[in-house]
Amino acid sequence: MSIDTRKVIKNAYRVTRVRGKTALRIRVPGGHIETRFFSLIDEIASKYGDGTAHITTRQGLELPGIDFENIPEINKMIRPLIESLGLAVEVTDTGYPAAGTRNICACIGNRVCTFANDDTTTLAREIERMVYPNNLHFKIAVTGCPNDCIKAYMNDFGIICTVEPVYDQSRCISCGACVENCAKAVTGALAMKDFSVERNREICIGCGECVRKCPTGAMTRSHTKSYRMVIMGRTGRKNPRMAETFLKWADRESILAIVRNAYTFVERHIDRGLDKEHVGYIVDRTGYPTFREEVLQDVRLDEKTLVAEHIDWSGYRYTNDAGLR
Amino acid sequence: MGYQLSREQFDRFLDRLKEDYRVFGPALDEDKGALSDSDRITYKEVSRLGELVLDRKSYFSPKEIFYPLRETLFRFCDGEITVPAIDEKKTAILLRPCDINGIDRLDTIFLENGPSEDFYYKRRRDKVRFFMIECTTGFDSCFCVSMNGGRTDRWDVAFRFGEQILAEVKSEELEPYFAGCAQQPFEPQFVTENSKKVRLPEVADITADVFKHELWSEYTARCIACGRCNTSCITCSCFTMQDAAFGAEGKMGERRRTWAGCHINGFTDMAGGHRFREPKGDRMRFKTMHKINDYYRRFGKHQCVGCGRCEDVCPQYISFARCINTLSDVTRERKSK
Amino acid sequence: MKNPFLPHKMEILDVIPETEIDSTFVLALDKPVKPGQFLELSLPGVGEAPISVSDFDEGRLFVTIRKVGRLTDAIFTLGPGDFLFARGPYGNGFDYQDFWGSDLKVIAGGTGLAPVKKVIKNFIDSDKVSSLQVLLGFKTPEDILYREEVRAWVDSGVATLTVDKAGSDWGGNTGLITGYLKGLDLSRLDKCKFIVVGPPVMIKFVTLELLLLKVPEDNIWVSLERKMSCGLGKCGHCKIDETYVCLEGPVFRFQRARRLLD
Repeated sequence: MSIDTRKVIKNAYRVTRVRGKTALRIRVPGGHIETRFFSLIDEIASKYGDGTAHITTRQGLELPGIDFENIPEINKMIRPLIESLGLAVEVTDTGYPAAGTRNICACIGNRVCTFANDDTTTLAREIERMVYPNNLHFKIAVTGCPNDCIKAYMNDFGIICTVEPVYDQSRCISCGACVENCAKAVTGALAMKDFSVERNREICIGCGECVRKCPTGAMTRSHTKSYRMVIMGRTGRKNPRMAETFLKWADRESILAIVRNAYTFVERHIDRGLDKEHVGYIVDRTGYPTFREEVLQDVRLDEKTLVAEHIDWSGYRYTNDAGLR
Repeated sequence: MGYQLSREQFDRFLDRLKEDYRVFGPALDEDKGALSDSDRITYKEVSRLGELVLDRKSYFSPKEIFYPLRETLFRFCDGEITVPAIDEKKTAILLRPCDINGIDRLDTIFLENGPSEDFYYKRRRDKVRFFMIECTTGFDSCFCVSMNGGRTDRWDVAFRFGEQILAEVKSEELEPYFAGCAQQPFEPQFVTENSKKVRLPEVADITADVFKHELWSEYTARCIACGRCNTSCITCSCFTMQDAAFGAEGKMGERRRTWAGCHINGFTDMAGGHRFREPKGDRMRFKTMHKINDYYRRFGKHQCVGCGRCEDVCPQYISFARCINTLSDVTRERKSK
Repeated sequence: MKNPFLPHKMEILDVIPETEIDSTFVLALDKPVKPGQFLELSLPGVGEAPISVSDFDEGRLFVTIRKVGRLTDAIFTLGPGDFLFARGPYGNGFDYQDFWGSDLKVIAGGTGLAPVKKVIKNFIDSDKVSSLQVLLGFKTPEDILYREEVRAWVDSGVATLTVDKAGSDWGGNTGLITGYLKGLDLSRLDKCKFIVVGPPVMIKFVTLELLLLKVPEDNIWVSLERKMSCGLGKCGHCKIDETYVCLEGPVFRFQRARRLLD
């Protein structure tokens, strides 16, 4: 059997432990899929696979037990699935055009969840259309609020939807619901002074809980949305670590531009001698200041956006295992 | 006198009216819902027919127009006390019959209960004119018919909104603003049946043992004391006094009052730390009794008018209508024993 | 239009320390007042609170204030010549005629003595009542209010004084006030009238005991502490059932008070 594994992998199929069998990886940006595709997925899995689908850690679907020789036929069948992504490139019968940039993950967002500050699915799909197809290895996730159910902190780029509360003193009845909740469950950014609420913007994380708790509409949402961007979180075999804050109170346009610029940054700095190099390791090499300078190029950040001066990713270095006793 | 106005004529009528009145009605507050990407219908100053939202119920009642959530009673400076002036313009409110009845319940507390009228309430309330929005169907959570709250004749002008707008003017003061409009007699109709129905317990049957009944404990488990039922209610009237000082040495400052609510923590706190009605079920019982029992005992009419806002806004899905019905069943059962 | 929310100035004539945290402020009286009524005392910018009238005479009004918070802390920095702001008096207060001809028993716990002090003083040497017996309870000897007057009442045999607990240097009675109800002369029970004032638990247990002693509910008066705020029947804080404590109270016949469920 002759298989060009690189080509197959870029086509979103995987080399599996069973010789001669592959698995198809279906992208579900935002983790939200129209159920009309279930019958198609069922058909592929039943006819060519083993009749099962795995829900992947990045919210896609993986259909195992497929013979490599059926790839061309399956690629024709999945055309509607690829078309539904709304990509900028022309869709053909040749299957997924790339696999390096992983499925853009998102929590369920404000289509359902009351905590969410934005429609994460829509934002994830917008990012998908912007960055995909691309073979560079990027992990991007969008979470609706700082609860971070999607674990944006474990991604190269984590986008946390936030909201800047607007306080109307004339509607405040000093019930203290917002202050109490912020102190107990958030960062304690709110305080009651002379029966009015004072917000410490420096430690307010924009979770929007004060708005949800307010019984009078004294705390409301600002009309424009804002985002926190955390970067370079990762798992892996060297140095697993949480992402760190890059931007706070950023606007949507800027975060999208920054993700775009990050691809250019990687193209410029990637070590082509390696099989593949993740963006986090590239930033480790170039240093944060270079990354910051390059990804912020031509980005007009909103006036209120705050940018990290320095970032010190720590995480665990597996070489430290030598100290284990 | 009755009139018929086209939609354009209505806007011109508003233009004339706004020279002498501030005009309020239910309108869209975009993005101002508690949840993201949600709006809210609230009472706002309006100047065009198109701004009015008539197919959804307002989240808050119109009471805030003349009973502000936070109101300065007086300011003081070096021992001198001054009462702030208010806008001298009159106020026209487009509102439904239940809210007109609800305002009657507020009037009773502020203008009739106790030895004196409430100065601050009265001076704003006197300026209010009721522009009744004809309401013949209500919304899903309404139970105004059961509470006898869906019908009133205390309006200055009654409107029926459609392709053409019909207006019946009762108050002579408002006749001139309709000059030039075609005459068309119009008698406003009222809602005669809601899908939600409430069975009121007989006031006389509510005895002390009902206060201690286990039915209230359900609300201890469910209510989170957020106070939305109080703040959205057209008839909740309670307030708390606040003093705040400005500047050095506290020589300047103000005393104000803000809305308060019997579900909200701190409502019963006394100096020294004693408090009453800690369990939320006791608060539910206290509110329920006020709305459909003790207010009646004192004033001869129920306080609740059945607008149903408390049910619309409760994050815990507590239905006041169901609570009343449960109470009714309990009292009837006890009586039959 | 009359504005009942505006306070008027009252001059402080004297400050009499009572305990470590209680002082009696003597104010210049400018309007009629009844025992058992309360004032809404305030300092603009600091706060307003209901305070019982404890005594009054020609041109003077006495209020006993406990230093427990922002407002009272600020009031305690004031002295003679300074001014307090006040609204009221509010509430029904006690009507002396209700007790004429009776064997009057006044049972007061702690600061509950303040609203009945004037009643005791009024009847102590008066032939308007057949007899007067006073039962006073405080937490410790240090908490005793109006020491000189209380000592005189005890010395003359009118009053029995007890403290919940005391050190070894206390020569007087100890134990809860309910334990001393037996000492009341109830030989003419139908002639006895009772005034019970104090913290909610004290009122609860004293009245319970009295009912066990077959005292008719009709012959018991209590004065309730609630969060009176506006004093005008508007703000709703003191409402219980259809009753506004600031209007119909704070003094109630027990048959009504017992039906008031918070």
